[in-house]
Amino acid sequence: MLEITPNTIAFLVFALLSVGGALGVVVSTNLIHGALFLIVSLFGGAGLFVLLAAPFMAAVQILVYIGAIAILIIFAVMLTRSMTSLSEIFNRQWWISAIVAVVMLGLLLVGAILPVWGPSGTNAMLPVSDAVGTTVDLGIALVDGNQFVLPFEVASLLLTAAMIGAIVIARDNE
Amino acid sequence: MLQLPSLETLNMGAALPAISIAAWACILLLIDLWIPKDRKILTVYLAAGNLVFAFIANLLVFNQSGDSFMGMYVADQFSGVMNLIIIGTALLSIVLSFDYLKRVGIERGEYYVLVLFVTAGAMFMAAANDLILIFVALELLSIPLYVLSAFRAPDIRSEEAGMKYFLLGAFASAFLVFGGAMVYGATGTTNLNEIAASAGMIIASNSSTSLFLLLGAALLLVGLGFKVAAVPFHEWTPDVYEGAPTPVTAFMSVAAKLGGFGSLLRILVVGMSAVTMTAGEPAVWQNVVAILAGLTMIVGNIVALSQANIKRMLAYSSIANAGYILMAVAAAGSPGLANEATRGALVYMLAYMFTNMGAFAVVIAVERANGGADLEHFVGLGKARPMLAIMMVVFMMSLTGIPLTGGFIGKALVFATTLNAGLVWLAIIGVLTSVVSAYYYVRVIVNMFLRDAEASTEEATPGYSTGVQWVAAVALGGTVLLGVLPTLITVLTDRVSLVASITP
Amino acid sequence: MSPLQEFAPIAVLLIIAVLVAIIISIISRLFGPYKPTSRKVSPYESGMKPIGSASRRYSIRFYLVAVLFILFDIEVVFFLPWAVVFRDMGLYALAAMGVFTLVLTIGLIYEWKVGALEWE
Repeated sequence: MLEITPNTIAFLVFALLSVGGALGVVVSTNLIHGALFLIVSLFGGAGLFVLLAAPFMAAVQILVYIGAIAILIIFAVMLTRSMTSLSEIFNRQWWISAIVAVVMLGLLLVGAILPVWGPSGTNAMLPVSDAVGTTVDLGIALVDGNQFVLPFEVASLLLTAAMIGAIVIARDNE
Repeated sequence: MLQLPSLETLNMGAALPAISIAAWACILLLIDLWIPKDRKILTVYLAAGNLVFAFIANLLVFNQSGDSFMGMYVADQFSGVMNLIIIGTALLSIVLSFDYLKRVGIERGEYYVLVLFVTAGAMFMAAANDLILIFVALELLSIPLYVLSAFRAPDIRSEEAGMKYFLLGAFASAFLVFGGAMVYGATGTTNLNEIAASAGMIIASNSSTSLFLLLGAALLLVGLGFKVAAVPFHEWTPDVYEGAPTPVTAFMSVAAKLGGFGSLLRILVVGMSAVTMTAGEPAVWQNVVAILAGLTMIVGNIVALSQANIKRMLAYSSIANAGYILMAVAAAGSPGLANEATRGALVYMLAYMFTNMGAFAVVIAVERANGGADLEHFVGLGKARPMLAIMMVVFMMSLTGIPLTGGFIGKALVFATTLNAGLVWLAIIGVLTSVVSAYYYVRVIVNMFLRDAEASTEEATPGYSTGVQWVAAVALGGTVLLGVLPTLITVLTDRVSLVASITP
Repeated sequence: MSPLQEFAPIAVLLIIAVLVAIIISIISRLFGPYKPTSRKVSPYESGMKPIGSASRRYSIRFYLVAVLFILFDIEVVFFLPWAVVFRDMGLYALAAMGVFTLVLTIGLIYEWKVGALEWE
């Protein structure tokens, strides 16, 4: 039987926000409303990350996804004309989306139920389960020469390249 | 307590070629801001100078194999040869680009910076020994290429090319990341050596973990298969190749393939060669890759038959060539054949680099002179510009795989290793599709020599630029030299061996 | 300490913020005079008439600004885990982050010099 602890209540709240927001994205006929619902859904996701002891992921979710990407999506909607009030939710490809969604759900269910990861995993030799990464571990991994300092620096190159690309494409040609 | 690595243990010298290009790209971005608009040739010199420097640096560290950044970046003979080919590609395409950019009025210094970024990305990909670095490097390769495809921006086809490439490329990256996550979930590491160490055990245990490992490997294959334009992940190729500015097409048809195959070979041969059902058997991915290779060769060559635009035709030819290289990758799955197959793939890629760059140089020259790259624009080229036409003949012959050209050597090595691996049906498909391909390659030759332009009235437009001339000549030299004296390159490739060093 | 406890202060902050907002609006509604006219209830927007279609098209420049913002936002995200450990790792971590920041600073200088930050 489900035990009612603060954790379960928090989980239920965040799960509700996450799923409800996602539902709102799908059914709202106004794209702006859809984008705002997306923020609700992402916030729920951030809460779930907190419950999963991944505070860094929660911070990323808030900073990048809510703070930047959702804003970008809203800007993108505002850049388009006549997309703010859609008359119908379904288009001709709805069944493809439905199949993809169901298959993805199935895959995720299989992944969640099959005991691969976690303490009940069939593979006890896996070093995954005992290493709960913290933000400190992540910070060390990013700058440690034994670990991921090279991809970290390459990521900065990548960001710069993306910056050049955005400017080259979006600026008017003089 | 944390051990701080010293500079010696990081061994950055081994990664110097790639790092120097990446660093110089950033510096050049700044320098270019102060170069006046009418003197962008300076940017070209600066970029080319850096590439030459990296080329020499790469030769210097060629024999000094070792890990850089603690096994993150592997500087062995494989990445050495790959780096030489990648830098060569970048040099040739920079020389090709300058005149083209000037002609169509998109002369901007960012172009060369982005080319350098792509080059660095491809080099990191070929040397990466870690799934995370492979992903970041793949993005460093891809994002500038999206931009370069759309570089001729107000031109609607170029914009379309950039958009298509970007959307599908982002999708492919997602597959790659997901695959990497699966592999990490199954093995608990992203390092290819450590994956190799635990992969065999996981497969042998036959638990659900092995399912995740296989699924992850399959998704990685999808992500990289997209980059190298393998069927069925090739849909973007013709549109992007046709719409992108021609020098960009030339560059990306080679550079993206080099990076993609570099990583694919490392992932499959170093990381996954132990993924077998029973020890001593070929790896389980062999059949999958072989089927992909067969499909790629068949679809690429057969659809190329009906193309009227040379750029589109070369796009399908590029798909087909990905199939031949994939053939070598498949052969690498057989135990004991990994090195032979890798060497074959390297020689093939070098030959393809020369041939393809040369063919695109001729296409650029024809575009400039005749205003387009349709088959019709090649009519009568044999009379109007015999040198150009003869060069094109050699490149077409090399793409077909006729002896005394580099393409023949590459194909011979690849077919030999495929037969050694026992994939006879695949080799038969390869030979048959090569015969088919002769039809559309020879059709170009026929159009150039045996048909006369109906109205050859227009006085010869000013001859093609020196840059294009140089590239075509170098490519011709490379193609023929490789065909006549293959030992020149096999001396280098014979020392290539891709094996997992189990002790990390 | 469970993650929920660690984040309790943030939850408390959220709850207080929501409560204060509700309480203030209730108080002003209860104790202030309330005689609505059409002028009074219409939103004030510097004398401009704020009613109209919200779906007019915006300048593409907004989008460029948003994209550039995302890139620097991601840079900030990389700072987070680094900030947690840099005290322990000292000069080395500073150097690693220095290179990272330098590359992005070059991007910023480019962006500035090329005029992408100007609105014109």
